[in-house]
Amino acid sequence: MQGNNNSDKPKYNFKRITSHPGFKSLGAAFMAVFLGLVVGFAIMLIASPGNAISGFRFVLLGGLRRLGDVLYFATPILMTGLAVGFAFKMGLFNIGASGQYTMGMFFALYVAFMWDLPGSTHWMVAILAGFLGGMVWGFIPGIFKALLNVNEVITSIMFNYIGMYLVDMWIQNNSIMYNSSMTRTRYIDAGVQIPALGVAGSNVNFGIVMAVLIAIILYIVLEKTTFGYELKATGHNKHAAEYAGMQGKRNIILTMVIAGGMAGLGGAFAILAPSAIAGSSMTYEPINIIAANGFTGIAVALLGNAHPLGTILSATFISYIQRGGTLTSLVGFKPEIIDIVVAVIIYFSAFAMIMNSAIGRFIKARLGKEEDKPLLEIGEEPVEEAEPQNEQETEKEAE
Amino acid sequence: MDVVYYLIQNMLPVGIPLLLVALGGMFSERSGVINIALEGIMLFGAFFGALFVLNVQDSSMGAQTILLLGMLVAGISGLIYSLLLSFASINMKANQVIVGTALNMLIPAVILLFSKMFFNSDGITTSKSFYIREIPVLGQIPLLGEMFFQRTYLTVIIGFIILAIAVVLLYKTRFGLRLRACGEHPHAADSVGINVYKMRYAGVSLSGILAGIGGFFYAVGVMDGNVSGHTGVAGFGFLALAVMIFGQWKPIRIMFAAMFFAFLRTLAYSVSLIPFLFDLGIDQTYYKILPYLATMVVLALTSKNSRAPKAEGIPYDKSQR
Amino acid sequence: MENYIVEMLNITKEFPGIIANDNITLKLKKGEIHALLGENGAGKSTLMSVLFGLYQAEKGEIRKNGKKVTINNPNDANALGIGMVHQHFKLVEVFTVLENIILGVEPVKSGFLEMEESKGKIMELSEQYGLKISPDSLIEDISVGMQQRVEILKMLYRDNEILIFDEPTAVLTPQEIKELLQIMKDLAAEGKSILFITHKLNEIMEVADRCTVLRKGKYIGTVDVDSTTKEELSRMMVGRDISFSVDKEESRPGEIILSIKNMTVASKTHKNNAVRNVSFDVRAGEIVCLAGIDGNGQSEFVYGLTGLEKLVSGSISLKGKDISKASIRERSASGMSHIPEDRHKHGLVLDYKLEENLILQRYWQPKFQKNQFIRFDEMRNYAEDLIERFDIRSSQGPTTLARSMSGGNQQKAIIAREIDKKHELLVAVQPTRGLDVGAIEYIHSQLVESRDAGKAVLLISLELDEVMNVSDRILVIYEGEIVGELDPKETTTQELGLYMAGAKRNTEKETGHAGE
Repeated sequence: MQGNNNSDKPKYNFKRITSHPGFKSLGAAFMAVFLGLVVGFAIMLIASPGNAISGFRFVLLGGLRRLGDVLYFATPILMTGLAVGFAFKMGLFNIGASGQYTMGMFFALYVAFMWDLPGSTHWMVAILAGFLGGMVWGFIPGIFKALLNVNEVITSIMFNYIGMYLVDMWIQNNSIMYNSSMTRTRYIDAGVQIPALGVAGSNVNFGIVMAVLIAIILYIVLEKTTFGYELKATGHNKHAAEYAGMQGKRNIILTMVIAGGMAGLGGAFAILAPSAIAGSSMTYEPINIIAANGFTGIAVALLGNAHPLGTILSATFISYIQRGGTLTSLVGFKPEIIDIVVAVIIYFSAFAMIMNSAIGRFIKARLGKEEDKPLLEIGEEPVEEAEPQNEQETEKEAE
Repeated sequence: MDVVYYLIQNMLPVGIPLLLVALGGMFSERSGVINIALEGIMLFGAFFGALFVLNVQDSSMGAQTILLLGMLVAGISGLIYSLLLSFASINMKANQVIVGTALNMLIPAVILLFSKMFFNSDGITTSKSFYIREIPVLGQIPLLGEMFFQRTYLTVIIGFIILAIAVVLLYKTRFGLRLRACGEHPHAADSVGINVYKMRYAGVSLSGILAGIGGFFYAVGVMDGNVSGHTGVAGFGFLALAVMIFGQWKPIRIMFAAMFFAFLRTLAYSVSLIPFLFDLGIDQTYYKILPYLATMVVLALTSKNSRAPKAEGIPYDKSQR
Repeated sequence: MENYIVEMLNITKEFPGIIANDNITLKLKKGEIHALLGENGAGKSTLMSVLFGLYQAEKGEIRKNGKKVTINNPNDANALGIGMVHQHFKLVEVFTVLENIILGVEPVKSGFLEMEESKGKIMELSEQYGLKISPDSLIEDISVGMQQRVEILKMLYRDNEILIFDEPTAVLTPQEIKELLQIMKDLAAEGKSILFITHKLNEIMEVADRCTVLRKGKYIGTVDVDSTTKEELSRMMVGRDISFSVDKEESRPGEIILSIKNMTVASKTHKNNAVRNVSFDVRAGEIVCLAGIDGNGQSEFVYGLTGLEKLVSGSISLKGKDISKASIRERSASGMSHIPEDRHKHGLVLDYKLEENLILQRYWQPKFQKNQFIRFDEMRNYAEDLIERFDIRSSQGPTTLARSMSGGNQQKAIIAREIDKKHELLVAVQPTRGLDVGAIEYIHSQLVESRDAGKAVLLISLELDEVMNVSDRILVIYEGEIVGELDPKETTTQELGLYMAGAKRNTEKETGHAGE
């Protein structure tokens, strides 16, 4: 790990993740999910052999009982997934989604408690405040990376802690927001809560609609605009981007700000979500722990291949097994089993691509189809020795 | 003067885990593998170390013997856990940062799951005290004796012994020379017949051992023998990475960097004991943030002329020349 | 029946999709210098890597002194007395010369490194063969020539008797080349057997006893150097007659397009400036070549010129407009086209499609975007047009991933993009590096065509032949300074070499207001 990244080597090579054709990444995602579930099951077997099968059935199918909640809990991790994935496209590893999420949540809470706004503008402004809070916390690693060349991974991690400590302090020192006897934030007014979609028995709300719309907008930005073209070019090859006159530093900062904003929105959506129990709301407990949803976003982004639309699916999936996971407590397990599955999925996502392409190559070789040149390991330059293939062509040219 | 003694006596048990883990990171990166999983490995080592302590604390074994055996257990656990990183990053050529992140996330979840299921708590709470009031003879040395050998833990002495071993290993042995070659120019190492994969396994494994021990020492020296899946090791693994960068991947410098960070942290938690700082009335949170903020300042200052191993983070592929 | 020390019989080595070595046989006699000749990509390096144990061949066998051997890794090769000086040196930059030489065969005393003893042996070898080194310097601080001597000593220290030199002269000055060839002769005289990989015919004629020629992975033949000619060898190498000269008419320089005054650029690797006080002009309708040995500030000069790096001092003007502080985009828009030195690093986004790469310099222009949305139809039309006009070949036309294209066609894509873009000045940096003869001829003709269309062309090249044949005017850069201005029609390669080595200069020494 180094702070200085001005050498040429592909250090955190997200090309490896982002540049594979879609179907291949889908295969890789399935592989990672499969292995994640296998490990999860194995751990359940170790922990409590008798209940492992019934517990595992909850993991797989439990979400079906609570589809509304699946979407409800998918909302924040969809946003953090977008936060991580969007930065991936630029070749940045935004491990700071957690801090950005916390900061966004705090900004939204602040507006909810401290400002007095009429009607539905209140929750809208609170959401915008969350967006802003996340952007501020994404801006910092962006600046460090662009201007001081400090690796965004370390910066993000440090600012996860700094953000968490700050937010916890601000909340604890504010008696309007903090209920010290409950060690939690107080309930926010129903007027500041995002309107529910009205699905019976669930708190699913307009947050998910907004999150999906934002994902679609990000998709358009990435695929159709010059900014997206620049961003992906920089992610693939920052030297070529610089050579083409793209403003790398500006783009790094802009990307991190947008990514941070996404995570901040996630925090706002989470804390402003409506509660089924009248007179209550979501609350936050400031106990110096880093927000897990930020890290879950990494798994969401990896599974979704950093593609905004893929991220919608992966967020829903992760949320689905998380819902199932909470039900495992009925047979003596704990919801943390899903955190294990998620971590294992991330682990295997990091190299499932390679396994997949190796399998693909093997099948291809078996079928005897060798016309098109196999992809070199992504992220590595074709070596000189790989060139003879073209000599037939150049020979023809020369004749 | 008492305040100075107090700060140093409290700084050392905090600095030693940082030192050991940063040395671990150094071995790993010197071999060419970025080890961002230090945080997770620490927690893994701490958990098994504490689990061992929990099981033997009521036996007749002396506290310091338990500490040494716990250290062994923690080191071996760390080594085993680090193999997951080695396998992914060396054999599978996976992205080292993502794998590290996954390993960091895995362990708290595992600890919480098992602790909740079997101890009905968030972690492990031990009741053995490893505190040493005064080390015989050494504690009597004027000035230094009180600073370094009173009100301390055995971990401090072990930490400095390991530092000495690390220096010798890195600079004076064949192993060290080859390890460094693999992190700088693996193709050069390969061309003279050094097995880069083996050396990288060795580097990561050393980091696993050291991070495991570091995690256990953290539990002993900072957390009074407790381990929690919620708070984990509070970002010490990440701070150790910063310490390593600040120390420019060199053992002695890493030691000074670790002590600098430990000092800041000790200060943060001792504000109420230092009248001068206490009178300022600054919220303690700001002091808690201090080490993280200091990391950023240090990185911003050193990033321009960092001497990171050239090949770190890049999977080694034999066929790529 | 002759006695061969090494025989490589019917070697076949495949990479996915390519047969790099197809049934190749090479026999090395004891004490001879055996050249291995072939174009870029002919399979020379692969064959030597098989002998050195870096690759394993699918078919064929290797014999040492008539006995079959298996070489699975460099250790095996070393045990058989085979050593190799790689084209890109395998030296650890932050280690000392001594550490590099002993790496892998370190002497150890009771567990600790024991350096002094080996130092003695190395200094002895160094004296015996005239290989001057300073054992305690770091590799990063010593010259390329000394680095190569370190590589040679690495082999001698291991008592290797079969020495492979992979393109050893590419990085050296003509004078250093002469020394190296002498060293090789001395080594052969001492009984060492040498395999010498090269594509330079002059060097073969000078030192080699025999020569084996490869083409496109196939074995063409082995000849005695005494009984052959350069023409014969080149025919074997390329498969047809090649002209060593470039067809072009006399240049007709017009107005000044590029004017550089006292340009100074800092170095990233050391404290001194990499480019010092450089001044010259390039006119419309001429090809000016900046010649020099690799690493004399050419890269930094180009970075400074194109805006990738800030100038320490000095000024650049393009068509009378000062662009010293302009951004890369502004320079490009005001008429500077740039064929970069490293097409993979700077020239292309390898994971983008060909069509996306073809608009890399122009995607922001109104032709290709409307309200910040890319106009994909225009991009496609444009790509198809360029592909046809510049004959860029690829498997799937505009949608081919640049990564999957051949080096020659990648370079063609860059040239098409840069030449078709509105420009007054074309900066071409080592545009033929790593390409085969056909592609090289094509690129040279494009440069000349561009010149004849009235553009100013600045060529930066390391290849002496290219410098002599393509340019209308030669500027020699040495240690970041322009040390000579030569007319290619009136100078010789030897004279050019003296300038490149810094042994001669015909411009004034820097007067000291810039630079260190």
